Amino acid sequence: MRLNWFFTLGIALFLQVTLLNFFPVLGVKPDLVLIFVVFNAFLRGSGHGAMVGFLGGLMEDLAVGSYIGMNALALMAAGYLVGIAESKLYKDSPFIVLVLVWLSAMFTQIFTYIMLSFMGVYISLGIALFRVALPSATYTAVLVLFLYRRFFRSNQEGLLYVRRI
Amino acid sequence: MDIKFPGALLFLKRYNIECANKIFTRGDGVFGKGNTKKIILFGILVIFTLTIMNYTEFDRVGVSPMESAVRDILAPAQGLAMNLGHRLRGLVSFPFTLINISEENQLMKKRVNELEGRIRLSEELRSENDRLKKLLDFKTGVASAVGLDATGAAVIGRDPGNWFGMITINKGSRHGIKANMTVLNDQGLIGRITSVSSSTAEVLLITDPRSGVGSLIQETRAPGMVQGEASYPGKVRMVHIPLGTELGRGHVVVTSGFGSIYPKGIPIGRIQESGREPSGLFISAEVAPFVDFNRLEEVMVVTGSRTPMAVSGISGLPHPWGQGNTDVRGRSPGAVRSGEQGGVINR
Repeated sequence: MRLNWFFTLGIALFLQVTLLNFFPVLGVKPDLVLIFVVFNAFLRGSGHGAMVGFLGGLMEDLAVGSYIGMNALALMAAGYLVGIAESKLYKDSPFIVLVLVWLSAMFTQIFTYIMLSFMGVYISLGIALFRVALPSATYTAVLVLFLYRRFFRSNQEGLLYVRRI
Repeated sequence: MDIKFPGALLFLKRYNIECANKIFTRGDGVFGKGNTKKIILFGILVIFTLTIMNYTEFDRVGVSPMESAVRDILAPAQGLAMNLGHRLRGLVSFPFTLINISEENQLMKKRVNELEGRIRLSEELRSENDRLKKLLDFKTGVASAVGLDATGAAVIGRDPGNWFGMITINKGSRHGIKANMTVLNDQGLIGRITSVSSSTAEVLLITDPRSGVGSLIQETRAPGMVQGEASYPGKVRMVHIPLGTELGRGHVVVTSGFGSIYPKGIPIGRIQESGREPSGLFISAEVAPFVDFNRLEEVMVVTGSRTPMAVSGISGLPHPWGQGNTDVRGRSPGAVRSGEQGGVINR
């Protein structure tokens, strides 16, 4: 079904705003929506990645209502950039995706930090890097090891499979 | 030839006369010549056996010494043999019993799961009950004593990112919730309402970097501003404390009431470390909040205020609100003290 990825995105966001709050590590939680965006971008290319990133980020923004569009932009850019690697990297290895997710998470966090600075929200660089960006990117990347193979199989032949014409 | 059978063997004739004839025929049978001794021995054996039988009836009380000896000697071996027998029987019948065990096992598992589910539900309800009781106690006790009208709400969502500290609660404009209302719980200050929909409201936590709370140090009355640091939930920072202020680890920080958003006297946290700000003009201090922001499930929204109770009426309030507990200096850390009852907010 073509819209399965959209529902999956909704579930990821729902878990993000509810359940994941109960499992913080070093005060941060993982970004499940980003993981989903990177998976989609890596398996289906830049266009799809950017679209999923934009919708996922927008849904995140709307879920809480602060700076609507900031996450949408950050995730769209991440989805597009990861999508470039779609035809260049080996897709079976979760370790490659782990690195991609880590880089994307760092990218979106730094992007957000810069955007916040422009909007007058000052956070010291040390706190931004060492208390937010690095721990959350690492935590998010570790989750890839548990999620990627399942997603990959589902994308090949399961619920998320889309026939390309 | 007719023969006369010995009395004890008459039954042989009765049951199988042909066989008996053979046995007792003098020519070829047992009773032929040379077999007399055997016959006598056979007879003695039979008589002995019959006698023994007579003395070992089933309803006797004791056992003979020989029986006793034999039984005692055989007992351990019997035990082993029986044990082995049981095992073997178990082994042989195992595949057959598996069918029953499997069914029974499934039933038991189902039952265990059901009971475990009930226990979990019961634990969850008990925990929720405890939390709600605390809030109710807070509403009727502390909040009432300090002159705050509050309504309870459940946390239904949190900011999906790691930069901000925002939560969503399940009460909105149709429940009388408005922007800038103070949110707290029995431990202390949580934040304020920033936006409201019909049935939900967004709360800006004091740990959010966009939050600023006018505050003062209870012991020294020094003013400052409590700010969040990204979404790091275990710490906030009190900035702009005047130089020369005496700061000690464990000093209690409360809301100052300046700015008229937060009522005066709500506990925020305790000072952990302090140092000069980069400008050198002020001191800043790291504050550990009283509220555990990782475990927020229910909160109270301050909807209005009344004249607080007299000081004597608030003397028994619990920590960190009351007068009953003492801080590191032996004084009360309670937020509501004489001179701090200006909790009335105009809205």
